[in-house]
Amino acid sequence: MSARTVLAVSDLTAAYGNATALHGVSLEVREGETVALIGANGAGKSTTLRTISGLLAARSGRIAWEGKDITNWPADRVVAAGLSHCPEERHVWPEMTVEENLRLGGYLCGSRREVDRRAALAFGRFPRLQERAGQLAGTLSGGEQQMLAIARALMSEPRLLMLDEPSLGLSPKMAEDVFAVVRDINRHGVTVLLVEQNVHNALSVASRAYVLETGRVTAERNAGDLRDDPDLLRTYLGG
Amino acid sequence: MNLALQFLANGLVTGAFYALSALGLTLIFGLMRVVNFAHGEFFMLGGVLGWVATAVLGLDFATAFVLVVAAMGVLGWLVDRFMIERVRGHGEESTILLTIGLSIFLANATLYLAGPAPMKVPAPLTGKPLFLGPVVLTKSRLAAVAVSVVLVLGAYLVIHRTRIGRAMRATFQDAMAAKLSGIRTERIFAATFALGTMLAASAGMLLASIYSAQASVGGLVSLKAFVVVILGGMGSFPGAIAGGLILGLSEAFWGGYVSTGTVDIVGFVMVILILLFRPRGLFSLNAQRA
Repeated sequence: MSARTVLAVSDLTAAYGNATALHGVSLEVREGETVALIGANGAGKSTTLRTISGLLAARSGRIAWEGKDITNWPADRVVAAGLSHCPEERHVWPEMTVEENLRLGGYLCGSRREVDRRAALAFGRFPRLQERAGQLAGTLSGGEQQMLAIARALMSEPRLLMLDEPSLGLSPKMAEDVFAVVRDINRHGVTVLLVEQNVHNALSVASRAYVLETGRVTAERNAGDLRDDPDLLRTYLGG
Repeated sequence: MNLALQFLANGLVTGAFYALSALGLTLIFGLMRVVNFAHGEFFMLGGVLGWVATAVLGLDFATAFVLVVAAMGVLGWLVDRFMIERVRGHGEESTILLTIGLSIFLANATLYLAGPAPMKVPAPLTGKPLFLGPVVLTKSRLAAVAVSVVLVLGAYLVIHRTRIGRAMRATFQDAMAAKLSGIRTERIFAATFALGTMLAASAGMLLASIYSAQASVGGLVSLKAFVVVILGGMGSFPGAIAGGLILGLSEAFWGGYVSTGTVDIVGFVMVILILLFRPRGLFSLNAQRA
């Protein structure tokens, strides 16, 4: 458990207009880990991911990726540096085919053959997407769209995958499948930073968790400790 | 009967020109969802600059065409980066006001600099008209129709078969997802606006060699282009062709058999009917936009 720290966020603040959403978030992710950000709605979990991936400007603080300061880099540079963000509510391109969605995930990869290879890999992992390769993404079920969004995020071959609410709106069975995929991705060496409302799902895949509350980190625990101690969990999540 | 054939031919030629004139708007309004009321002025500028390059500076048509289209591409890029970019994401009203203002400025600046007289671009092709049975067509019209077909096809292929085309569609369907895939969306917006401007200008210059360019023509061109795009379905290139042909044919027959004075009503009546009964356009697919 002494792997090197790949992502170090320190004292990050960010705001939507005048509404401050992050009041100094600090967290670390080590190579090969799955780390969960948990907390109530509006605690700043998604905002943290959005600020890391360059969708939202940081007001202050620092984001370091593999030792480099990537604070306020534009989104395309963040992707190129090896971070990939799979956003909440999936955001597939509804009027493009499954295959077009997938291949665009590898947009920054200059080699067509390399994109072919990665797409073949993705179709191997998600046979369901292969079956529907020519179908418009907007016609997929919620679970299939989530799989597509994850597969697309993997097309840039990231070393850190940031997943925002991957089980949102899915049936328990479908959510289980998604988390099986997340475990599998992590086993293949991709570090995962996971935002999840469903704490039990989150703790079933994560090794560590940060608890966020109104834009601040209020605790950092091993997932096992939180899992085995419902009282502790309740203290942090307020019920 | 012979008259009907001539109306048919005229309608098809005009329809092809309508499709061409609307092509830039198919891109900017249909695909990018910017309600661009300056479209007609970009078309007009293509004609006026074409006249400057050929009739005033004495360049040959092909060279002038390339220069004018390139210059208009630069203009389109600048308009997007320095004007549209500021109101992006602030709703359609701001864009509408912005482009109406821009259209007034461009029309009046042209009026001030070039005057109100029609400016004829010398036609690249001259010679006797062709007689196909009872139907008469000039070579320059046929050539313009051919160029229209090539441009429509080219635009379609760029959007559907190339990397930048895919990046464009992705950006307009979901800009956030596009950013997260590494697409520099601000460049895609500017490039699309530039491309739409270039298409409008090439239509303007081509048609100024058949009719003539005039500073005040923009408003009518914009309106007809909106009619074509709405008839055919937003962002659909095959739809734009069909919309153009339908408008051209209905106007030709209405003008031929009913009255020429009321021709411009035809398109608007059709748009009202379309919006009432098939609001996604005649040829749009049923897929939902996000």
